[in-house]
Amino acid sequence: MSTPVLETENLVKVYGRGPAQFHALKGLSFQIHRGESVAIVGKSGSGKSTLMHLLALLDEPTSGVVALDGRPVSKLKPKTVSALRNETFGFVFQQFFLNPNQSVLENVTLPLKIAGVSRSERDQRGMHALEQLEMADKAKNRATDLSGGQKQRVCIARALINNPDVLFADEPTGNLDSATSETVENILLNLQRDHGITLVVVTHDEDLASKCQRRLIMQDGEIVEEQTGVRVSSSRKAPITGGQGRPAPRRRRLLSFGRAGAR
Amino acid sequence: MKSLDLTKSALSNTLRSKLRTALTVIAIVIGAFTLTLTSGLGAGINQTVDRIFGGFGVDDVIYVVPQMEADAQEQDGPPEYDPEAGVEPEDGFGTGMLSAADVEIVEGLDHVVGVDTEVAAQLEYLQAPDGGQYQAQFDFALNDVLAEFAAGGAPDRGEMQITLPEDWLEIFGTEDPEDALGQTLIVAAPNAVGQTTEFEAEVVGVTQGTLAGVGFTPIPSVALAEEVADINAEGYEGQMPEAYIMAAAEIENLEANEDAVKDALAAEGLWGLTVEDQIAMFEAVIDAITWILSGFALIALLAASFGIVNTLLMSVQERTREIGLMKALGMSRARVFTLFSMEAVVIGIMGSVVGIGLGLIAGFVTNGLLTADDGPLGGFAELSLFGLDPFAIGGIFLLIIIIAFLAGTLPAARAAKKDPIEALRYE
Ligand SMILES: Nc1ncnc2c1ncn2[C@@H]1O[C@H](COP(=O)(O)OP(=O)(O)O)[C@@H](O)[C@H]1O
Ligand SMILES: [Mg+2]
Repeated sequence: MSTPVLETENLVKVYGRGPAQFHALKGLSFQIHRGESVAIVGKSGSGKSTLMHLLALLDEPTSGVVALDGRPVSKLKPKTVSALRNETFGFVFQQFFLNPNQSVLENVTLPLKIAGVSRSERDQRGMHALEQLEMADKAKNRATDLSGGQKQRVCIARALINNPDVLFADEPTGNLDSATSETVENILLNLQRDHGITLVVVTHDEDLASKCQRRLIMQDGEIVEEQTGVRVSSSRKAPITGGQGRPAPRRRRLLSFGRAGAR
Repeated sequence: MKSLDLTKSALSNTLRSKLRTALTVIAIVIGAFTLTLTSGLGAGINQTVDRIFGGFGVDDVIYVVPQMEADAQEQDGPPEYDPEAGVEPEDGFGTGMLSAADVEIVEGLDHVVGVDTEVAAQLEYLQAPDGGQYQAQFDFALNDVLAEFAAGGAPDRGEMQITLPEDWLEIFGTEDPEDALGQTLIVAAPNAVGQTTEFEAEVVGVTQGTLAGVGFTPIPSVALAEEVADINAEGYEGQMPEAYIMAAAEIENLEANEDAVKDALAAEGLWGLTVEDQIAMFEAVIDAITWILSGFALIALLAASFGIVNTLLMSVQERTREIGLMKALGMSRARVFTLFSMEAVVIGIMGSVVGIGLGLIAGFVTNGLLTADDGPLGGFAELSLFGLDPFAIGGIFLLIIIIAFLAGTLPAARAAKKDPIEALRYE
C-alpha cells in the first residue's frame, strides 16, 4: 500500500495551562490515504475542528506527530509550512470567509495571488474554477451579493484553484439548507471521485458523512469508532464495520448518531 | 505574493475606509506642509544672502573690530569701580572703538597691504540742490562694498562722493535713479562748539536696502566721512583721542594668510572677520531659526504618526478574519507584515505629496505677494522669503515615509502575529 497522504501518531492537543488546561485531543493515531474521502464526525466540542487544524498544518500538536506524505511536519520552518498549505491544501469553511470588498473572481484567486501567480494567469484559472462550479456568470459580482449555496460554491472554487492534493472542509454544509447542502455535498464528492482529491470533511451532517468512504467518530477528544464503506443514506441498519471490540456505551453513542441522521 | 500585488493591495486597502484614511492623511499633510514652509523659508533667506554677498569683488579684506571683553555679555551685576585701573585715553580697548594705536598695530602686521578706517561722523543736515535740508545719518563708509545699487556704484574712497538710498530720490523730484547721478549735495557737519561747516559732495550711486541692513542711509566715501569727523573734532579743548569704529585691512593672498592674520589680531586684542565670516554668522542664525521652526513641524508629524498607529490598529482589528484567511491560505508572516507596513507607507506618501505640494504653493504665492515691488517687503533688494531646496524636499519626503513606516510596524507586527485559527474563529 502506498504511503498515506496524511498520518498521525499519538496526536495530543492540550489547550491552556495548569489547572485550566483542557485535553482536546487525547492521543490519536490514524492514516488517510491518497484519494480517500474521510468524514470526521462527532458532537460539538468533541475536538473535530482541533483535529482538522492539526491535519491542515494550521496548528501544532502538544505532542505526537503529523506526517505529510510520510514526512513529519514538526521540523519544517513556518515559511515552508505556509507554502505547503498554499500549494497542497484547499480549505472550505462553514462561515465562508469571503472578502466582501472584493469581487467573486478576486476571492477565488486569492490563493494564487498569495502564491505569486501573475494577474492574467490568476484570472484565467479563476474563471476556469468558477466554470466548473457553474458560477462563471457571477465572477464580477461582489461576494456579498450571493446566496449561501453560491457563496459555498465560490469557496469551493477558491479551495480548488491551486489544484490541491487534500481538500479540508469544516462543516461545509453547516450554514446551508438541506437542498443546497445536497448540491454542495455532491460537488465535494464528485471532486474526490473524479479528480482524485483527498477529501477530509468535518461535519455534523451524517447525510454527508455517510457518503464518505470512511468515518472517524469522535467523542471527548478520542476516536471512538471508525466506519468504512459508503453507507446508504439514513439507513439505521447499515453495517458498522469499524470499532469491533469497543465498549458498549460507545457503540450506543454511535447508534444514536445514526438515529439522529434519520430525520 | 508579488511586490506589485502587495502594493496594489495596500493601496486598495487604504482606500477602503476613505474617511478614516483621509483624516489620518490630513494630520500628515499638516506636518509635511509646515516642514516644507519652514525649510523653504530658511532656504529662501539663505539663497538671498548668498546672492547678495556672492557678487562681492573685495574678497581680500579682513574687517577689524575691538575684541569684546570675555565677560561683557554675561556678567552678574555691574563691575566694581577700581580707582587703580584708571582710563587710558590712548587705548580704545573696552570702549568698543579702535584707537590710533590699534590701527597702527594692524598696519604693522605681516601680510597687511593697506588699512582703511571707519570713523564716527556726525551730520547736521544734507542739502539738496533746490535748497531743501534733510536730516541724515551716514552708513559706514566701509559698507560700500556690501551695497546693492539701483544706479551708479560705490563712491571712490578718496573723493568727496556719496550714495543715496532709493527713497531719497524725491529730493530731486524724480523717480529714475539715473537722474540722481552727478548731482551735488551740500554736506553740513557740526563742530564741538555747535558751529556748522558746509562742503560739497557728488552723488555717484543710488542704493537699495539689503537684508544685511546696508544701503538704507547715505553711504559716504572714506574721505568724506573723515572730513566730517575732522569738522566734528574742531573746537574740542585738549587732545581728542582718535577713535575708529572699525578698520578694513587689505590682505595679500587672503586665502593663505587669513588664519595667520586673525591669530595675530587676536593676540593684540582685536577681532578680524572676513565677509565670509559675516555671511556664515548670518546664515547660522537663519539656520538656527529654521531648525527651531522645523522642530515644531516635527512635533506635528510625531502626533500624526500616532494617528497612523491608531488607524492601522483599528484596521488590523477589523480585518482579523481576512488576515487569518490569508495566513491559512499560506501567506507568510513576513508578507502580512509587509502588507500592513506598506499601508502605513501609502498613507505617508499621500500625506507628504499633498503636504509638500500645498507647502510649495503656499510658500511661493506668499513670497510673491510679500516681496512684490509694492508688497510689504518689496523694499529689500533681491529678497526672497521662500526657496526651493530639492534636497530638503527630498529629505522631508523620506523622513515622513520613514516615520510612517515606523508607525506602521506596531500594527503590522500585530497583524503578522495573528494566529489563523484564532482569527478564523473570531466572530
Ligand atoms: N483555543 C482554545 N482554547 C481553549 N479551549 C479550546 C480552544 N479551541 C478549542 N477548545 C476546546 O476544545 C474542545 C474541542 O473544540 P473543537 O475542536 O472546536 O470542537 P468541535 O469542532 O468538535 O466542535 C472544545 O471543548 C473547545 O472548547
Ligand atoms: Mg468545529
